[in-house]
Amino acid sequence: MELLDLSFFTSAIRMISPILLAALGGALCARVGIFNVGLEGLILAGAFSAIVGNYYSGSVLVAVLVGALGSVLVSLLFGLAAIRLKANPIVAGIAINFLVLGLTTFGLRAIFDVKGAFYDKNMEGLPKLDIPVIEGIPVVGKLLSGHSPLVYIAFLAGILLYIFFYRTVTGFRVLAVGKNEAAARSLGLKVTVLQYGAIVACGILCGLAGAQLSLGQVTMFTEGMTAGRGFIALVAMMLGQSHPIGIVGSSLLFGLMDALSIRLQGFSMPTQFTAMLPYIITIIAMFFLKDRGADSQLSGQQSSR
Amino acid sequence: MNLQRKLQQLLRSLVQPLTAVLIGLLTGAVAISIVGASVLETYKVMWDGAFGNFYFVTATLARATPIILIGLGLAIAFRAGVFNMGAEGQMVLGAVSAALAALYVPGSGIIKMLSALVAGFLAGGLWSLLAGWMETRFKVQLLISTLLLNYVAVLFAGYLVSSPFQDKSGSAALAQTHMIDQAAWLPKLFQGMSVHMGFVIAIVLAIILYIILRFTSAGYEVRMLGYNPFFAEYGGINKIKVLLFSMFFSGGIAGLAGTVEVLGSQYRYVEGSLTVPGYAWTGLMAALLANSNPLGTAVAAIMLAALQTGAMGMERNTEVPLEIASVIQGVLILFVTAKITMNWWKVKKKAGDIHGAA
Repeated sequence: MELLDLSFFTSAIRMISPILLAALGGALCARVGIFNVGLEGLILAGAFSAIVGNYYSGSVLVAVLVGALGSVLVSLLFGLAAIRLKANPIVAGIAINFLVLGLTTFGLRAIFDVKGAFYDKNMEGLPKLDIPVIEGIPVVGKLLSGHSPLVYIAFLAGILLYIFFYRTVTGFRVLAVGKNEAAARSLGLKVTVLQYGAIVACGILCGLAGAQLSLGQVTMFTEGMTAGRGFIALVAMMLGQSHPIGIVGSSLLFGLMDALSIRLQGFSMPTQFTAMLPYIITIIAMFFLKDRGADSQLSGQQSSR
Repeated sequence: MNLQRKLQQLLRSLVQPLTAVLIGLLTGAVAISIVGASVLETYKVMWDGAFGNFYFVTATLARATPIILIGLGLAIAFRAGVFNMGAEGQMVLGAVSAALAALYVPGSGIIKMLSALVAGFLAGGLWSLLAGWMETRFKVQLLISTLLLNYVAVLFAGYLVSSPFQDKSGSAALAQTHMIDQAAWLPKLFQGMSVHMGFVIAIVLAIILYIILRFTSAGYEVRMLGYNPFFAEYGGINKIKVLLFSMFFSGGIAGLAGTVEVLGSQYRYVEGSLTVPGYAWTGLMAALLANSNPLGTAVAAIMLAALQTGAMGMERNTEVPLEIASVIQGVLILFVTAKITMNWWKVKKKAGDIHGAA
């Protein structure tokens, strides 16, 4: 078996899309000064609502929309606690993770009357999109074509977020809120509105991430199916310094390492060590970012101190 | 006057968590009525499951033991103003090191037990110190590094018990170590009950930590660093030293949590036995609930453990699913730092002032 071949890169691209979407959502929150640890819960809420939407409507589009809606509702609850009630965002985020884990498992029992996982063979997953012209090109075609629409949306969202932050007035205001909330408020910016806007947008992005999880590869929901992806998204966001292009880069790094760790299992290495690879590489990568650490604190990311 | 102020302060610090508990229970009530069960009856069954008889009380305390220790460890870090998210990895490494020490250190039972306790503490502490060192030396943000090190620690412990140190004697090839010699076990507190000596260790540690943080200069330095790092530095506190010490003890106590689980109830390290029940996150919630007060953390940990054991009893005896407990927990934590009651308090106070002026 080749170590690096085409399917390696396609699987990497597929794996990073939920992480990328959620990390972009997290970056939006970080840029308005709210550190969102609840990404894991938001993705899980999206994944579950998408399956509920799919089961009752039978339409994939409705399912994705319901997934986004479910995640937005949870993120509004987070916003209510963090903005309106001035709760510590880190504490509220951890609470959201727990709440959603409980709610979705409870929902499995209450709605579908199953435990652990829900699967229905009549449910339809996300379609694979073949892009007409690119599909024909030999290597690039296989790499870029034939993914679910949400994979393309993930990368598109990164570019759009970049344009939003650095080329639009509202984006500039969002950045201002993150740099210095008090100063932004004194200039008459509607800080609270911008913060709620960012949180709703984060909910939508995480909802899409969840929909990709539950409708992408296999169409089913399992208890706690996010399996730490929300935290990885958090890491990708911080590694990318809450900069959209940086996040695309760090998510790509993470996806490649994840794919590599699966591939290396074929080479008689203990699976635990190959599975460690993405985390160790990420820690190493953080050493190289140390000089820009001070900058990231200015950009509204909460430091550990 | 002074006493009255102190009493007011105590009341004020209690109003916040109590409101959160109330909102949590109300949400639980809504969820229970959704599945069509009687709210009061279900809560009664839940209470019985946690405190119904002596056996259930000891089961609750046994479950609370690792949660208290994790919470105490995190409380130290939080007091120093560092957000240690790595309790899970520190606990697991502590547990596996303790199991290996108890298995392979030669000597009598008591030596094995002591060396296991030391090994567990050191493993957790050093793992946590690694993150602290990366923060102080290289400015690698501790919040992320501790999170990432969790995965590395859990996977490494999994490797140790699935390959070099696996117990292959049983019929099923589980990922676990051999069983520890009975002489090295932590004794049970009551015959046939699950609560063990670890619970006493946890409570004693809570009291010691409370005294250290409250009354000693080392505790003052830790608290000062958390309140205002710039002032602490200005006041001549060695920021790096205090941070590293806090991280070492924070991780060490988390390691101890894993150790007492191994020595007191599992008698071996079984993969997933510490991560699946989510001790680390529950401990984190206990520390948050109590605002990092060591004694409060112990109380909060017992309460959360009771919620979990109660929910298990509820699932055995009613149709209501176990997950109600995590819903209640989530809501409880969500509102625990919210400033709902503060408003209420201010309004009341203002009304009192007007009354006084008139």
